Amino acid sequence: MGVVLGNIIAIYRRELQSYFASPLAYAIAGIFWLLSGFFFLVLLVGPQGYIQLAAIADLQGQQQGIPVPPIDVADIFLREFLGLIGSLALFILPILSMGLYAEERKRGTLELLATSPVTNWAVAVGKLLGVLTFFTTLVLPLLVYELITLSAASPPVPPAIPLLGHLGLILLAAAVLSLGMFISSLTSSTILAAILTFALILFLWVIDAIAKTVGGGVGEALGHLSLLKHYSNLTRGIFDTSSLILFASYIVLGIFLTAQSIDALRFQRS
Amino acid sequence: MIEVEHLSKSYGANPAIQDITFSVEPGEIVGFLGPNGAGKTTTMRILAGYLPATTGTAKIAGYEVHQNSLAVRQRIGYLPETPPLYPDMTVEGFLYFVARLKGVAAGDRSVRVGAAIERCNLQEKRYVLIRKLSKGFRQRVGIAQAIVHDPPAIILDEPTVGLDPRQIIEVRNLIKSLAGSHTIILSTHILPEVSMTCSRVTIINRGKVVAIDTPDNLEASLVGAGYELEIDSDAAAAQQVLQLLPGVRLVESIPSLDAGTLTNRACLRVISEPGAEPGRDIVTVLVGMGVGVYEMRRTRATLEDVFLKLTTEEKLDAALPSESESIVSGEAD
Repeated sequence: MGVVLGNIIAIYRRELQSYFASPLAYAIAGIFWLLSGFFFLVLLVGPQGYIQLAAIADLQGQQQGIPVPPIDVADIFLREFLGLIGSLALFILPILSMGLYAEERKRGTLELLATSPVTNWAVAVGKLLGVLTFFTTLVLPLLVYELITLSAASPPVPPAIPLLGHLGLILLAAAVLSLGMFISSLTSSTILAAILTFALILFLWVIDAIAKTVGGGVGEALGHLSLLKHYSNLTRGIFDTSSLILFASYIVLGIFLTAQSIDALRFQRS
Repeated sequence: MIEVEHLSKSYGANPAIQDITFSVEPGEIVGFLGPNGAGKTTTMRILAGYLPATTGTAKIAGYEVHQNSLAVRQRIGYLPETPPLYPDMTVEGFLYFVARLKGVAAGDRSVRVGAAIERCNLQEKRYVLIRKLSKGFRQRVGIAQAIVHDPPAIILDEPTVGLDPRQIIEVRNLIKSLAGSHTIILSTHILPEVSMTCSRVTIINRGKVVAIDTPDNLEASLVGAGYELEIDSDAAAAQQVLQLLPGVRLVESIPSLDAGTLTNRACLRVISEPGAEPGRDIVTVLVGMGVGVYEMRRTRATLEDVFLKLTTEEKLDAALPSESESIVSGEAD
């Protein structure tokens, strides 16, 4: 067991180290932080932002003398913001996962991994943990300025709600990255891996809508597979075990398929 | 140390290797020689546990490479055809990574990495990114990663390909220095490499083993040594007489080097039976006939002749031995 853990750590450290040396990682971090900061400002204090909207609603209520229903700005803002970040992640995650195995195949380093005393799934787990750590690093600064903003809300927002939302975001990312890792293990073209992963998660994102048109038992079953539905539940602060299980299943499935596909690769390779 | 028995591998309907059997004793360097596409890389990959064989078994240190894959992987160092390197790592960082991957204990890592760097002469590139290294240094890093965990068996797939002559000599010396404490199997299509580094050679062609022996024995026995003569008489007459001598397999006329200036000279090539030394008799007979001998030169087959013969399926008698001194540095495909 200690050996396996040592192997996972070795792979994990190499993955993390490669992000420091990769211009792609810096570009992605820059774009992610720029866009998320932009969304944050626009949603919160922009001309169409929620503070402005609430203020206008208040003003109209006062002028017309009708009491308006109170708006929970903090809650709506958080939900909308995390929804936007989720959509942004949709574009960023395939780029993060595309090279996980495709690069190894292209460089021939897969031959090193496959002939070292390491199991395929230990490699997959190490890689997934590495890329997930990178994504978590991208998300952490957002959490900091959200908490600062939310601390000014009255009534106060319990910190568990944004934390749960971010946990959801990271679980979502883990699920997508795990499936993306599997797709990356199928090809030595990073671009192809990115496109296929994007198509797959787009499908899993909107499967809810497809499920509604199908209807019936099949529709319901499909609906449960939706990433968006479970993610938005978590961002609302709804802690549902079924969401956790769904994300965990995607993660395990991705790791399992990756290990299998690397094994299969060794059998068919010419 | 390495035992390969009746190993076959097919890709779909195409057989890559067929019924390959050989063994490597501990501490030995065995060359695996064959033209491109003969199945060298396939065999190496099976030995390293990267590919499964279709039929047959391969054992390293007593462990079957496919069934006991993890046990074998701990005991081998493997340099694939293209060195498996991460361009964004430094030489030292990469070797630490490989050491960790191969299960070198934490306390031994710095010693092992240091030893591998020294052995492969990488001291000056220790902290350089692999991306910035030249082809020769990359190849050395590839060898360093194969020996960093001090494995009992080392598998090198074309270790000198793409290197300049000086680097080739360095790599060969490095490989020779590893013998004794390590068992090495290396594949190559460069002939001098085998005669210079290996104690035994396995020649394969189209997926089949065509010869296993020491380089010296292969050169001596398979083609046979011979002589080249320059005489001042009619070639046909001398040929007839020499043909009858014991120990002579074949006598043929070859074009004279200076045929234009000296018209009364003829050149002959005599090929002797393996192990026979008819040189003394040849001179005696020629002098007895009153033929003047201007030059007599002993020739030996090189490994290249052996290789070409074995891999091109020519008739044995049509073989032309060439001078033993000739330095063959080209690549025979």
